[in-house]
Amino acid sequence: MLWVDQHRPKTLDKMIVHQDVAQNLKKLVTEQDCPHLLFYGPSGSGKKTLIMALLRQMFGPGADKVKAENKTWKVDAGSRTIDIDLTTLSSTHHVELNPSDAGFQDRYIVQEIIKEMAKNRPIDTKGKKGFKVLVLNEVDKLSREAQHSLRRTMEKYSSSCRLILCCNSSSKVTEAIRSRCLNVRINSPSVEEIVKVLETIAKKEGLQLPPGFAARIAEKSNRSLRRAILSLETCRVQQYPFTPNQAISPMDWEEYIFEITSDIMKEQSPKRLFQVRGKIYELLINCIPPEIILKRLLYELLRKLDAELKHEVCHWAAYYEHRMRLGQKAIFHIEAFIAKFMSIYKTFLISTFG
Amino acid sequence: MKTRENHHRSNLLAGSPSSHSDKSPPLVGSYTFRFYSSSYFHFDFELKSVQLCCSRFFFPLYFSGRDVKGLVMGERNTIVVWSSSEDDKEDSTWSSRGKRSAHSNLKSSKRSTSSKGAKKKARVVGLKSRTDSSDFDQVTLFSEDFHEGFNGFKVPAGSARNAHKQLWVDKYKPRSLDDLAVHKKKVEEVKMWFQERLRPCKDVCLSQVLIVTGQTGIGKSSTIHMVASHFGAKVCEWTTPTPTLWQEHMHMSSSGMRYTSKLDEFENFVERMRKYGSISFIEGQSNSLVILMIDDLPVANGKPASGRLQNSLRLLVQSASIPTVIVLTDYGRADSPDGCGHWLEELQSSLESAGACKVSFNPVTTNSIKRVLSRICSQEDCHATNQQIELIAKLSGGDIRNAISSLQYFSLKLNSVCYPSSISNHTSAFEKGIPDVGNNMCVMPMGRDETLSLFHALGKFLHNKREAGAALTSDQDAFVLNEKFARLPLKMDAPEKILWQAHGQARPITEFLHENVLDFLNDEAIDDSWTVAAYLSDADTLLASRNGVLFRNHEAENLGQSVAASVASRGVLFGNSCPVSSRWHSIRRPKLWQVELSSSRNMYDLLKRRLDKREACSLSSSTVIATEYMPAQKWLNYAESTTPWTTMQAKESGEDECDAMSIDGDDRVESEDEIEDW
Repeated sequence: MLWVDQHRPKTLDKMIVHQDVAQNLKKLVTEQDCPHLLFYGPSGSGKKTLIMALLRQMFGPGADKVKAENKTWKVDAGSRTIDIDLTTLSSTHHVELNPSDAGFQDRYIVQEIIKEMAKNRPIDTKGKKGFKVLVLNEVDKLSREAQHSLRRTMEKYSSSCRLILCCNSSSKVTEAIRSRCLNVRINSPSVEEIVKVLETIAKKEGLQLPPGFAARIAEKSNRSLRRAILSLETCRVQQYPFTPNQAISPMDWEEYIFEITSDIMKEQSPKRLFQVRGKIYELLINCIPPEIILKRLLYELLRKLDAELKHEVCHWAAYYEHRMRLGQKAIFHIEAFIAKFMSIYKTFLISTFG
Repeated sequence: MKTRENHHRSNLLAGSPSSHSDKSPPLVGSYTFRFYSSSYFHFDFELKSVQLCCSRFFFPLYFSGRDVKGLVMGERNTIVVWSSSEDDKEDSTWSSRGKRSAHSNLKSSKRSTSSKGAKKKARVVGLKSRTDSSDFDQVTLFSEDFHEGFNGFKVPAGSARNAHKQLWVDKYKPRSLDDLAVHKKKVEEVKMWFQERLRPCKDVCLSQVLIVTGQTGIGKSSTIHMVASHFGAKVCEWTTPTPTLWQEHMHMSSSGMRYTSKLDEFENFVERMRKYGSISFIEGQSNSLVILMIDDLPVANGKPASGRLQNSLRLLVQSASIPTVIVLTDYGRADSPDGCGHWLEELQSSLESAGACKVSFNPVTTNSIKRVLSRICSQEDCHATNQQIELIAKLSGGDIRNAISSLQYFSLKLNSVCYPSSISNHTSAFEKGIPDVGNNMCVMPMGRDETLSLFHALGKFLHNKREAGAALTSDQDAFVLNEKFARLPLKMDAPEKILWQAHGQARPITEFLHENVLDFLNDEAIDDSWTVAAYLSDADTLLASRNGVLFRNHEAENLGQSVAASVASRGVLFGNSCPVSSRWHSIRRPKLWQVELSSSRNMYDLLKRRLDKREACSLSSSTVIATEYMPAQKWLNYAESTTPWTTMQAKESGEDECDAMSIDGDDRVESEDEIEDW
């Protein structure tokens, strides 16, 4: 098991980062009925950890016993029946799923699951009607229709189920949903907090952390706790005992993008563009999302670039990222960005060095 | 072939009692009317001509294009659209004819094929002259099967009375070998073949079957007839009998007749041929030379039927005792939607392997069509200018029958409708040397619809041929373009027209262009490649369905598609400002398809693997898994062995291989189409 999963705090009390949020949530669920919740914040900030701990707070250890299930949902959509495969993770008290995995049929899945949950709602020991919790990940990736249908079902079945929504950016969640939920913003942990977490883990694992090494990992992790813990574990595999100046290897796909950027900087021609396309395809095959490819590409390019070009290159990156969201096939837009960069860079080289 | 087919009932017959009365003879031939959506304003003009046709001749008319129904229906009942159902309530003649033709159909299938040799001529000529007796005015509208049922009704050929009103296709039929517009070499080839077979001392080892292939209207049958008559041989023909209609079938089954399919009949025929040879259908003239010609094959739908046909043809090839010619018409190209082209190829190769010779005819060259047309013009006293003749020749696409019909139709307009100004406009444009045939299409409402294969169209876009070096014609009032936006005129039709001809769908076209365009760019031209990439990105944005919200409307989506295709192709043409001189390039299949396939499979594996290990107590998004968990996992597992990325690639390439194998079946691209000189 990865350290990230192994050392995840199980209860709200054990949280190291976001302690204030954890305490507030604890008060919220113990004192009164829980409202719908919307957690948002950058990736690796601890949203899921908080949600899991919150579920445990609500339902006790029963919430930990989860089973994964790949179920085919039969949805009756007017004239025809649609089969949708979706993986869910469920305990007796909650169901968790990524509705955006269903692609453009996501709206059916949200409605259908909520309806089914409402049908067999649990009755708790006190004879009071209980409720189930539905955890929906990546709500920002839901289509607009799915979000609308979510809104309706949210109201209709609010007596029998609570929703916990989780996303990176709340701006892509409709106003209607946001106003029906309690919004909880989870910040990225600060570098000091990350260092603290790393030190705790090292202590649990019985590792000697040289001074400054944890800080270096934290710096490199871009304030993502998950990333920091994963780096620590890989460093442990690469070389132990740690030395303060030990290399912290980036992710393989990041290295690959680094290679791509040096290819781009070395030669600007249609032939090179074609080679680069092949490498981008390689990344896409390995399921690296195109947005992240473009972002990382820009990051690497900017590091090597003259200051006077940075503005223009950023402009075009933003332009083509927008295009990518409007369009369907990401490669067209990534390639257009690379071609534009090559064109700009070549003109720049010619004008400076003749 | 068309002339005969057009007499099948399913065609559009023109005629009404009022138009019968003016005693004009019905003519055989087909006219193609085309209406483009952009040519609404020509409708008036077109309608006049159609009316003209209707009042003076009966042409089987073939309409193509949009809004044709309105055109036909709006015509004050001068046109009867005779569809394939028989309406018993019409009047007594029609219904009695239906029954009789049903009988005659049966008879013709059972009858010994005694008069087959003379049939073709008799049919055509008979139709021409039958109208002389007004009793048969009605009858002439009917199929020739009826005529066949009439034993003894034979009119001597060549009644020249109606010569000036004959269809030119028949009137100017080649009379001798020299008249043929077919390339001399091909004629020579066929002649040589016949010479070898018709010599009295027969060589046993020579195969007796010749396959003639080629598109429609290029003189395949005529060549055979001419060569045969050159040797004084008699041509006996198998022509596919008229299909039985459902009503006929019902009628016959009530009288206890059993239905035989046309394929059955053909098989019987082959069987007879094998057993009895030429004796089976030639009575008492065994001393003369006989050539058997199988013109069109019976319709065979589906694998079993076509297999049967192929088998019986193979048998025929192996056992033919008299010279036999099988004429195969290439309908459409290899990429026709129903895969019929593929089947024909299969048939050809199977017959060739059985020992048949093959001569494939090419479309008639524009020049020889022009020669024929000018000859007809001079004989008919019709004043078409050279440019007009050239245009007709070009539009016919190598189909000489079509060209002659078009010329006749065109001469109608010349004589009776005032000379349309648009034509003179066009000819002046033509004289200027603008080879843009596309624009003239709406001026000339005839000719054939050209089709292109997808790769042909792609080749046109990618090679980007332009007029060499010629400076742009500087019109004084023309908008002055910035130098960097100016391009030489295209050496091809408008891109939209090419797309339309290739039946290209926007998405695959865009992807093919994206995959291949970089090969065709100049090595230095990185700016160009950005322009191209930008336009392709635009096209992709246009193609995106926006989650089905914006483009609910089918019409709007359609428009979006065609605009996207247009942007992609024009973008590629415009962006490639200095095309490389043409080299040989193969067109690859978009790698994108394979990438998407394996990406979605990897994604599925990824999610599954993470769940299977039961490591996660919560679901995490695929992004996080792909970018963070998996690389870390790999580090942990493979830390001591090679670097992780290479192992990943190795695994990947392995998958690609099996992928390629699975896709191989429908892989057309590996054939490496040569697109050098299109």
